Amino acid sequence: MANEVRPDEAAGALTEIARRRAQVVTLTIIPTWFWWATAVLMVGFSVAVETRRPLVIGIATAAFVIGILIVTGRLVLAVVGRAQPRNDLLGPTGVLAIFGFVAGILAVSLPTSFALKAAGVRYPATAGILLAGVVMVVCGPLLMRYLRRLMLDHRAGGPQ
Amino acid sequence: MIKPKFDELIHAPTRLSIVSLLAATEWADFKFIRDSIGLSDSALSKQLTTLEDAGYVEIRKGFVGKRPRTSARLTSFGRAAFDRHVVALQEIVARAGASVLPR
Repeated sequence: MANEVRPDEAAGALTEIARRRAQVVTLTIIPTWFWWATAVLMVGFSVAVETRRPLVIGIATAAFVIGILIVTGRLVLAVVGRAQPRNDLLGPTGVLAIFGFVAGILAVSLPTSFALKAAGVRYPATAGILLAGVVMVVCGPLLMRYLRRLMLDHRAGGPQ
Repeated sequence: MIKPKFDELIHAPTRLSIVSLLAATEWADFKFIRDSIGLSDSALSKQLTTLEDAGYVEIRKGFVGKRPRTSARLTSFGRAAFDRHVVALQEIVARAGASVLPR
C-alpha cells in the first residue's frame, strides 16, 4: 500500500496532521482578554489595599477573588470541555519561558515597589503592580505566540 | 529511532484526521472531535469503533453532573502506530525529493 501512495498524497496527509495538531495547540493559548482582566483585577486590588480602609479592602478582596475565579474558571472550562492537550507539548524550553515570564514580572514589579516606598512615594505597591500589569498585557500575548510556535515546531502529536 | 510502517487503517482520510487530533491530546471530548472534523455523531461513532476494535483508541463514557460525556484517547499502541505511519509518510515525501513538500 505504501508504494501505491503518491508523494503528493503523503504530503497532503502530513499537512492534515499538522493542521489537526495546530487545532489542539490553539486550545492551550491563553487569550489576550485574560491578561487585561488579570492586570485590571490586580491593580484594582492593590489600590484598595493601599487605601488602608478596612471596608474598601474587604470589598476589593471579595471582588478580586470572585474576579480571578471567573477569569481562570472560564479559561479552564474552555479547555476541559473540549480536550486536554498533551502534557509534553511545551517541552522544557516552553516551561523555562513561562518561568522566565513570571520571574521577569517579579523582577520588574518588586524592586519598583520597594524603591518607590523607600523614596516615600504614595501608593508604591500599586505602581509596582501597574508596571507588572503593563508587562503582562504587552508580553503575555508575545509569550503565547512564542509558545504556540514552539509547540508546533516541537512536532507534538507526531514522532519527536 | 522510529521504524516506518505505513498504516492503511490510519491513512483513511477521516481516520487520519481523528488520530492526528487525538495524537496531540491526552484525551478529547466526543463533541470536540466531531465539531473539529465536521462529522455527524453516527459517522464519528463508526470511525471511533473501528479504531477501538484495532486497539488504537480507548473510549470512555462518563457523566459530568447529569450529562453523559464521551471522550476518546489514543492508546500507546495507537500512538506508536501513528508515529510509525508519520515516519512512513515522511519517507515517501523524502524519496520524491524537494518537489513535494508538506504545505
